[in-house]
Amino acid sequence: MPFAGFNMPINYKTGIINEHKNVRNHSGIFDVSHMGQILIENKESYLDKLEKYIPLKLKKLIKNRSHYSFLLNKDGGVIDDLIVSNIDIKNKSYLYIVYNASRKKEDEKIFISCAPNAEKIYNINCLFAIQGPDSINVLKNIIDIPNNMNFFDILISKYNNNEIIVSRSGYTGEDGFELSIPNKSAENLITDLLKNKNTMLCGLGSRDSLRLEAGLSLYGHELNENITPIEAGLSWALDKERLEDKNLNGNKILSNQLKNKLSNKKIGLISTNKSMLRDGMKLFDNNNNEIGKITSGCFSPNLNKSIAIGYIISEFNTDNTIFCEIRKKLELVKINNLPFIKKNYKKNGSTYE
Amino acid sequence: MGAHMSEKKYTKDHEWVSIENEIATIGISNHAQESLGDIVFIELPSVGNLVKAKDEICVVESVKAASDIYAPIDGEIIEVNNTLENDATIINQDAENEGWIFKMKISDSNQYSELMSEDEYKQFLEQ
Repeated sequence: MPFAGFNMPINYKTGIINEHKNVRNHSGIFDVSHMGQILIENKESYLDKLEKYIPLKLKKLIKNRSHYSFLLNKDGGVIDDLIVSNIDIKNKSYLYIVYNASRKKEDEKIFISCAPNAEKIYNINCLFAIQGPDSINVLKNIIDIPNNMNFFDILISKYNNNEIIVSRSGYTGEDGFELSIPNKSAENLITDLLKNKNTMLCGLGSRDSLRLEAGLSLYGHELNENITPIEAGLSWALDKERLEDKNLNGNKILSNQLKNKLSNKKIGLISTNKSMLRDGMKLFDNNNNEIGKITSGCFSPNLNKSIAIGYIISEFNTDNTIFCEIRKKLELVKINNLPFIKKNYKKNGSTYE
Repeated sequence: MGAHMSEKKYTKDHEWVSIENEIATIGISNHAQESLGDIVFIELPSVGNLVKAKDEICVVESVKAASDIYAPIDGEIIEVNNTLENDATIINQDAENEGWIFKMKISDSNQYSELMSEDEYKQFLEQ
């Protein structure tokens, strides 16, 4: 299917559900080379400008760590969500940013305006994600991974004498890694990884159902320019001190939102029958008042039911019954805390949520 | 048994139809099953409904999308495959046999002869 200008597989041979379960139980490999990757020199003048858009203390980012963050517009709305990392490449310090394929144009306009010599590397480097509890074992045979590498750590390693960027991260709720690797070595790497019989290639379909079970937001669904990170339930990702900084886009709106009641809230939903919940379906209370909308829905292989994320008005008491309009009929759905599954991230050798 | 089982025919909406003693059995084609991917749910039609060709009869939900199933010909729904209610994946496993969806008493057999033969359907898919 066409996706952000790329021709991407929804699934490979064995289907979405099988790929999904393989990631939860073993591991799976996603080709996410369509995503944006850019290197920005770690220079104070560049960081000052970027701090207008990114709600982090960019000058204080710890080396070899990644952060989930955003580009914000002047109203605090989300231009994009992204991962910002601080790494050295060939003895030079950089911000390495991974961003959404569908937002390349908007994001790069900002990156280039802040740092004219920013280097887009997605044309020379592929990006792969290997996800699932076995990822570490699959990868360890091929690439040097230090034992003490935690979730959201990032480092430079080697494969076939090429420097590659390895981060312990992903978007499935599982332990896993993302590998940025020169194009010419990409095929060899995939072949090497697939030698492990418990791993398999996975497409966009299972990527979506995995992130949805993990309660993770997707740009264009839970996030857009009219929603702030706070409204999207992602205030944990904001550096609260930066909200006092006039230099940050939308800082007043954001700090007000943090103090006051929001008009909408993000919720998780589970179908009570076999109907599928899908993006755009309307939600109603038991007096037939429209109270919100679904922003993402899918079949959850782990729960064997359809699950969804949506926004409803804050006044709605979540103990009350809630209905979803499915093909002109109102069907009872159940509110469920996000995430739908326990996350399985690694810190100091043990698992945490 | 021993009844006249007709040749299987196909619609442009990827349903298959076979007729035995003026009773049509309808399902979705193997091609449709493959493109839908894992099927998780089917909303079966109601027995007794009188329908016209091209009417939306029921809905198949796969992990990818909801997909309408249309009546291939005019007639009355006389039976539905209730086993699909508990396990819609039968359609993935055997779309053109065990995965049949409903049966109709048909009123106009000319409509049936106008549908595509297996070869014609294959050609249609290649277009």
